[in-house]
Amino acid sequence: MARSVGTLVVGGVIGDVLDMFTPASEFTVQYGSKQVTKGCDIKPSVAADKPRVQILGHPLSSNLYTLVMVDPDAPSPSEPRLREWLHWLVVDIPEGHDATKGRELVAYMGPQPPTGIHRYILALFKQEGAMEGRIEVADVRANFSTRRFASQNRLGLPVAAVYFNSQKESAVKKR
Amino acid sequence: MAIPIPMATGCRSSSRWSMVSLKSALPPLTSAASSIKLPCRHRTPPRIRSPQLVRSFSSLSLVNPLHSLGFSDMSSFGENFTIIDNGCRFYAMRHGRRVPKLNRPPDQRRALLRGLTTQLLKHGRIKTTRARASAVRKYIDKMITLAKDGSLHKRRQALGFIYEKQIVHALFAEVPDRYGDRNGGYTRIIRTLPRRGDNAPMAYIELV
Repeated sequence: MARSVGTLVVGGVIGDVLDMFTPASEFTVQYGSKQVTKGCDIKPSVAADKPRVQILGHPLSSNLYTLVMVDPDAPSPSEPRLREWLHWLVVDIPEGHDATKGRELVAYMGPQPPTGIHRYILALFKQEGAMEGRIEVADVRANFSTRRFASQNRLGLPVAAVYFNSQKESAVKKR
Repeated sequence: MAIPIPMATGCRSSSRWSMVSLKSALPPLTSAASSIKLPCRHRTPPRIRSPQLVRSFSSLSLVNPLHSLGFSDMSSFGENFTIIDNGCRFYAMRHGRRVPKLNRPPDQRRALLRGLTTQLLKHGRIKTTRARASAVRKYIDKMITLAKDGSLHKRRQALGFIYEKQIVHALFAEVPDRYGDRNGGYTRIIRTLPRRGDNAPMAYIELV
């Protein structure tokens, strides 16, 4: 079942990071007890550990997926000089399983927005086959390009995406 | 005896008149008023004053002559002078008024909008209530238009509006690259979940 991508367009995810796509798969992302919905607010303290990402589908199917988590608003939404900042990269996730079953190429780094409200986008790509190790992993996380990564590894358009907002927590606990 | 009629001073900018101006123009009416229970106005102790003051109202033709004795509720609509005959428009409804008031007096409203535009230009994306977000769009567009022009006069106009001068200088430096091709519509509003404390509808507003 295809979810509409309207929220992604409105939030600027499609355009800044991804190209227009039709959702073909579904996946759920959960930080502890909090489920990530498009555009929801998650505190950096809650998102410090890696989430449980579950790809919905038939566990016996042979499809493999790649998960990319980027922040297009680094270091600040008004001046995104380091667009995009790569937070997490996992390949070879079998369908119907969660992200721990894949191969983690770039370790998970939690959101640490220095200033402003940042968007954190989790995009899912379908792989043609198993990634053998052709992937060049950049040493720096800054100035990552999801589009370039997808074209280099022949991933095509994403099949699903979700994003959440996060901002620096103030030292004093807000109401 | 010429008792000035406040309405003749013309339509004020708000095109509404208030009882305060009428009361200040007329002699004080505490005699009979205090003896008869008035809801929220004068708490003066009952004093019996000479009725000559009351009779002095006869030169002013009132819609309800019994009003001078203070029988009716002074703040009721039935006795107001709606005969404003110098041509200004006065509606009891909000038809055609497009300035968002934001539940604040004008000086506070201006300060709120200045602060919101300063913060939005500083952080790039802020979360605020929907009414404030849609009210601040106009001022952001104005500031970016000033920056697009770029001359010294426009820079000084922007400095008079935005609270922090580094933001103005940064804005004037980067706007030609960032918004050179775009004509208007420099912001985007995304509605989000209501605020927990008072269920106020919230929105993100960001620079495109």
